[in-house]
Amino acid sequence: MIQCEFNRRRFFQWTGASAFAAVTAQLSLDTLASAADSSPLPTNTPILVLVTLYGGNDGLNTVVPFADSTYLSARSNIALSSSQVLPFTDALAFNASMPSISALYKENKVAIVQGVSYPNPSLSHFSSMAIWQSASLSPDVTSGWIGRWLDRQPHSPFNAIGIGSTVPPSMIGEKSVASMVDVSGIQLPWGPVASLLPRMGRPSSSDVHLEAAAATSITDLYSTAHALGSLVPKSPTGSSLSQQLSVVSTLVNANVPTRVWEVNLSSFDTHTGEQQDQNALLSEVDAAIGAFMASIATGSRSNDVTLMVYSEFGRRVMSNASDGTDHGTSAPVLLIGNSVKGGLYGEQPPLNGLDVNGNLRVTTDFRSVYGGLLQDVFATPVSDIIPSWKSALSVH
Amino acid sequence: MSPTASYAQRLAISRLVHRFNFGPTPGQYTDLLHRGVAATQVDVLEHGVADSGLDSLSALHLPNLGRIPQGDTAASTAFWNAIYIDQTKLVSWWLDRMYLSRYPLAERMTWFWHGHWATAISKVMYPLAMQKQNNTLRKFALGNFEEMTKVMVVDGALNYWLDNEENYLTSPNENLARELMELMTLGVNKFSQHDVTAAARALTGYSTNLSTGAVGFDKKQHYAKPVTILGKTAEFNAETLASLIVSRAENAQFIADRMWFRFVSGTTKPPAPLAASFASRDISSLVSSLVRSAAWSEPANSLVKSPVEWFVGACRALKVRPSKLNAGDTQWSLTQMGQMPFNPPNVGGWPYGQAWLSGVAFQYRFELAQSLVAVGDLSPLSVPKSKMVQACADWLGVPEWSRRTGSALAAATGTPSELAIAALLSPEYVVSA
Repeated sequence: MIQCEFNRRRFFQWTGASAFAAVTAQLSLDTLASAADSSPLPTNTPILVLVTLYGGNDGLNTVVPFADSTYLSARSNIALSSSQVLPFTDALAFNASMPSISALYKENKVAIVQGVSYPNPSLSHFSSMAIWQSASLSPDVTSGWIGRWLDRQPHSPFNAIGIGSTVPPSMIGEKSVASMVDVSGIQLPWGPVASLLPRMGRPSSSDVHLEAAAATSITDLYSTAHALGSLVPKSPTGSSLSQQLSVVSTLVNANVPTRVWEVNLSSFDTHTGEQQDQNALLSEVDAAIGAFMASIATGSRSNDVTLMVYSEFGRRVMSNASDGTDHGTSAPVLLIGNSVKGGLYGEQPPLNGLDVNGNLRVTTDFRSVYGGLLQDVFATPVSDIIPSWKSALSVH
Repeated sequence: MSPTASYAQRLAISRLVHRFNFGPTPGQYTDLLHRGVAATQVDVLEHGVADSGLDSLSALHLPNLGRIPQGDTAASTAFWNAIYIDQTKLVSWWLDRMYLSRYPLAERMTWFWHGHWATAISKVMYPLAMQKQNNTLRKFALGNFEEMTKVMVVDGALNYWLDNEENYLTSPNENLARELMELMTLGVNKFSQHDVTAAARALTGYSTNLSTGAVGFDKKQHYAKPVTILGKTAEFNAETLASLIVSRAENAQFIADRMWFRFVSGTTKPPAPLAASFASRDISSLVSSLVRSAAWSEPANSLVKSPVEWFVGACRALKVRPSKLNAGDTQWSLTQMGQMPFNPPNVGGWPYGQAWLSGVAFQYRFELAQSLVAVGDLSPLSVPKSKMVQACADWLGVPEWSRRTGSALAAATGTPSELAIAALLSPEYVVSA
């Protein structure tokens, strides 16, 4: 694969290249006028990569209180033995499926925020994920927290990019939506009609909101294709998350002017056979993040990137008879990066002081974690994005 | 000839025929414009009569593939090939059915319930078990919701998907109990954790033969003591649990809300009388109220067509039976767009709204439009050039082109196929305004 830099030269190359002339002539003036936005990301600009684990990752078998007798007795059928963990304190260890993250922790590049959720946690996947992605406890707030940040930026299809096809709720604002890039590459329309399609790429005064969004997505596709198309690996290999993160690291290393990325992995809803399934999933997460960190270490962005690994909830302390766990509450959030101040943040919820449903108590509100990221990564006042929220837990 | 209907009429009729009938067949929208909104409401509600459109669709007999062969053997290869082939056949068969129906409401409702009782073949594996569930959803698509729930609670694919085969007497697995109440019948915060645990007890003793989807009941493995669920104490089984849950007032509101969300708007709320029309749990009454509601003239009630809705609509307009296309290519595109039938991403069902409007989705929509138009019937565009763009709106059931799209399409009138592809990809066709 040819590595290309995203820079002004490249931008003017595609605006001027004869092969694209017909298409670019049709591109909206907005896009052409946004040449300034399309300049490379200035050095030292912080970048956030959201790693969303769908299904409710079991926090207790990720960051493991391995020495706690209650941990062993409450979930004897799935508790990790001392040979299945990588201790980093007398009380806590990483799941042994996480050697890369464990090594990064030793280099002080991993912040573990403990006991993270929100007041009266919902045990519903959908309510809880909606709360995390909107950063609001109210079901009436449907915009995502990154989406609201996007709403405040000058429009550029590069501000936020998700990997995949369907836009995650966190990245849908009231006005702006993140662009998406597929791991199998960007393929622009071809044939005689191709030159016509960009004409439909700008909102019209008669559009309803969704039509305007559909129009914008056309222009965003052309913009991302021209700017990023040759950079996206054509035939990625490895696990789903590895593929997604390799697209991100390639584009980050190319200085693409993107401040937020999103990747995700599903199947953490381990009601049955948890050890085998979760270990395999964590192994995938660990290998993908290890490779990502190694890849950005070869570029100039390695000090700019922070990854946040989170899930909609943790799982019940007591395991079930299917060698799995049911829906729970708080769990650790991992923040990973060269500029992260590694270590433990917040309090580990006690295993002998559970709530009425046998779930862990909440010791840190996730909005404080977002608050820290909004300040440190986006240099944005917390309450601009999360109304009436002020607290910020900084790990930088 | 374009009839003289007002924009409000064009909008209401477009919404009704796209949302309840997978979009118009050639000439249908013009015909409905002549006949008016009330006649359209009657037409789209038509169901329960013999559907001659389906005459050319033969029954799909999937074999029982039995247990997964152990080891890396030829038998194992053959088994997984058969799983793949049957899944492809099942998806093609369903897409054909959506396309062929002359009275598509029943199929449209089956599609709605598929997203409602969202069960994914990625875990269930066996196409036969998924087909059995699909037949159940079709049987009750416009029937009684209590009856549907009673059968679905003991549906094999759903039971396996939500781990009920791991729900033991000694220790309940609450996955099915929780999602049954939260996502399928009552809604979030309408029950307590205690209700979940007790309902899980009621669901013990059922076991699934996954290769057929059949569910058996073993009385000895069933929790045969009284439990208290939603304030009622009794010895429950799956059937009595279903009846209890569905009898709750919250159930009427929840199903009315879900139907509004998927058929009318992801942002507005239904008027109170809608839930009242579901008092008897008769699904056809609720759908009828929805179709006859005042929602269709409200500008705010726009929706994004999901990939399957968009694709089937395009097939109907172009008279291309889905199975005439390369099934592998079609299903690859739908998978890449995030909507492979029988494989919703999670138990919450399909995404909605702007989630479908990515540039990536546009890439795959283009590929599908290209292959459809290549073999499709473009005769509705055989009109003088000056009338082609309007004829295209009338053909596809688009209320009105914006100036943007109108001028882009006008540039394509030299070639009907270019015009058709551009129109199918236009914001006005991708979104049901």
